Amino acid sequence: MNVDDPVMLDILRRCMVARIATLSHNGRPSINPLYFVAPHGRIWLGTSEWTLAARNVKADPRVSVLFEVEQDRSPQRVLRISGRASVRTDPKVQRSYNLRVERKYVLTPGGIRHYLVHLRQLSLMHNYHAQAAEKGQACVIEVTPIEAEILGYELLG
Amino acid sequence: MSNEQDKEGAFMKQVTRNIDPDSARDLLELVPRACICFASEHGPQSQPIVLVWHDGRYLVGLLEDADHQPGSGQEVVLLIDEGVHFFDLRALYIRGQVKQVRAPREAPAANCTWVEVVPLKTVAWDYGMLREVRDER
Repeated sequence: MNVDDPVMLDILRRCMVARIATLSHNGRPSINPLYFVAPHGRIWLGTSEWTLAARNVKADPRVSVLFEVEQDRSPQRVLRISGRASVRTDPKVQRSYNLRVERKYVLTPGGIRHYLVHLRQLSLMHNYHAQAAEKGQACVIEVTPIEAEILGYELLG
Repeated sequence: MSNEQDKEGAFMKQVTRNIDPDSARDLLELVPRACICFASEHGPQSQPIVLVWHDGRYLVGLLEDADHQPGSGQEVVLLIDEGVHFFDLRALYIRGQVKQVRAPREAPAANCTWVEVVPLKTVAWDYGMLREVRDER
C-alpha cells in the first residue's frame, strides 16, 4: 500500500491515539500510546526526550506504528506503518506540532467539553507537564513511512 | 517551623498517573484496544490482538497469517489501552514471555494462533486519577 493511499489517509485523519513499537539498544521491545499528527506524509508523535519511546528511537530508528480508529468497529480499521524514526527537538517542529495538536485534541467540541468537565484537574495536568519538562525536553518522534498495510482485523472481531 | 514540618518539607511532591494494576481490571474484562509488540530480525513488530483474560491468565489471539509471530519464551509487551482525551487515557502495560497454548474455549474468533503472556512486570496508568504523592527518593 502506498503511503498516500486514500484508505490510509482516512484512517490517519480519524485515528486519535497511535501506538508505537520500538526496540531498546539491547533489543527489548516496548509499545506506547501517543498523540500524533500526520503532516506532509510524515507521522509526528509527541513525547519527551527522557521517555522510553524516545530513547529507544535514538538507539534503533526502526518502528512499527498501529493506528486504530476509535469507536469504529467496521472492518479495515487497523493501519500499521513500518518506518524509520528520528527524535526532533528543534523549536520550529515543536511549535508546529503543538499547534496541530491543539487543533486536533483541544479546539474541538469534544475537546473543549472534556476540559470544561475536568476544570478542577487542570492544575494537576499543568503540574504533571511541568514535572515532565523538568526531566527533559519535549520532543517529536518523526516517522518516515516505508511500508503501510491494513491488517485483517475483521477476522479478530 | 516544627520538626514535623521540617520532616514534611524534606519530601518533594510529585504528580503521578500510576495506579494499582488491580484497579484497571475492567480493561481486561471489556477490552477496548489491545496489541502486542515483540522484536524480530526486521525490527519491532506490532499487532492488534484478541485478548481473553481467564483465571488471571493473559491469553492472546494473534492473526494466523501474520508475517511474524513471537517464538515460545520470547519477551513481548502487551498493551491494553483506552481513551482519546487527556483525562480519559488509561492503560495496562504488561511485559512478559509468551508460551504456546491451545485456543481457549471463550475464543471469540477463528483464524488465530493463541499464546499466553506470562507477566514479568505490570504497570497501569490513568490520567483521570492524576494526584500528588510524596516523592521519597
